[in-house]
Amino acid sequence: MMILVYGGSGSGKSAFAEQRITELNDSGVPLYYLATMQVYGNEDRERVRRHRMLRKDKGFITLEQPRDIGLVVDRLGKGDVLLECMSNLVANEMFRTEEAVEGLGEKLDDNANDEHYMDDKLIFYKCLVIKIKNDIAALNKSCDNLVVVSNNVFEDGIKYDKSTMEYIKALGDINRYLAGLSDEVWEVVAGIPIRVK
Amino acid sequence: MILVIGGYAQGKLEYVKSKYGVSDEDIYDFEKLDYPDFFLNENEALFEKQIVLNNINCLIKNSVKDGSNIDDLIEKLIADYPNAIIITDEVGNGIVPVEKNERLLREKTGRIQCLLAENANEVIRVVCGIGQKIK
Repeated sequence: MMILVYGGSGSGKSAFAEQRITELNDSGVPLYYLATMQVYGNEDRERVRRHRMLRKDKGFITLEQPRDIGLVVDRLGKGDVLLECMSNLVANEMFRTEEAVEGLGEKLDDNANDEHYMDDKLIFYKCLVIKIKNDIAALNKSCDNLVVVSNNVFEDGIKYDKSTMEYIKALGDINRYLAGLSDEVWEVVAGIPIRVK
Repeated sequence: MILVIGGYAQGKLEYVKSKYGVSDEDIYDFEKLDYPDFFLNENEALFEKQIVLNNINCLIKNSVKDGSNIDDLIEKLIADYPNAIIITDEVGNGIVPVEKNERLLREKTGRIQCLLAENANEVIRVVCGIGQKIK
């Protein structure tokens, strides 16, 4: 069973996602919390603290994997997984530091004035979207139940810089793919889950 | 209490006016109101009435900006106006703002909307002028 939980900032999507995976986790297999947020500074630490409080006593084993979700698939084996969240994962993959891409990012930045610079970057982003989809598909195949949390970043009507617009497109593309894979899709509004699939 | 939530310009107030037949003098708009006065001049005659408290997102924004305790205000609002119709803009469906206060305000607005929804008898989401009862 795979479930996609989708919502805006402060919508209560995490609490609902935790509730849903906890309900599904009834066959005695381990319950994993796959956290994708990279922690920078106090505000992030506070966010992590709040989420840990919410998860307390629910029996989650926390794994931090800010990118390359595919790498944890072999380590997990059987189990139910809550993956939170796609907006951080996609940002971490797209805006990863140069060294993490084994020279590719660096190469791209070196050639920032090159007329093909943006073309190269777009190809890089397209490859990443495919890679992220493959990673999630592999995770879904290997675990028993999977709940994925994703974000609605699409409705503020602001035209951002090119990289941010590419990020929004990538996340939209991935969300559509996840919704296609999922048995249930829920949108959470003001803490209220609305089933859309 | 009834909570009506939806994006900017989705026709929330029009929806409320036509569905509940409230008259204009019973609509209190926090985009224009001096909000502390509204709570300070406790008008007990309003407590049991079906009034509309519009643009609660502006109340949250202004009180956070002033450093006043928004949680207390919301608690008071929930307790004192059990028959009110509360209208609020959905503001969380976008890119995380770069500016810290904007980011915190957006998060806070979302959390307060969850709290209002929890305490509401009915929650209606308005999209394109159409209301969908979600609670």
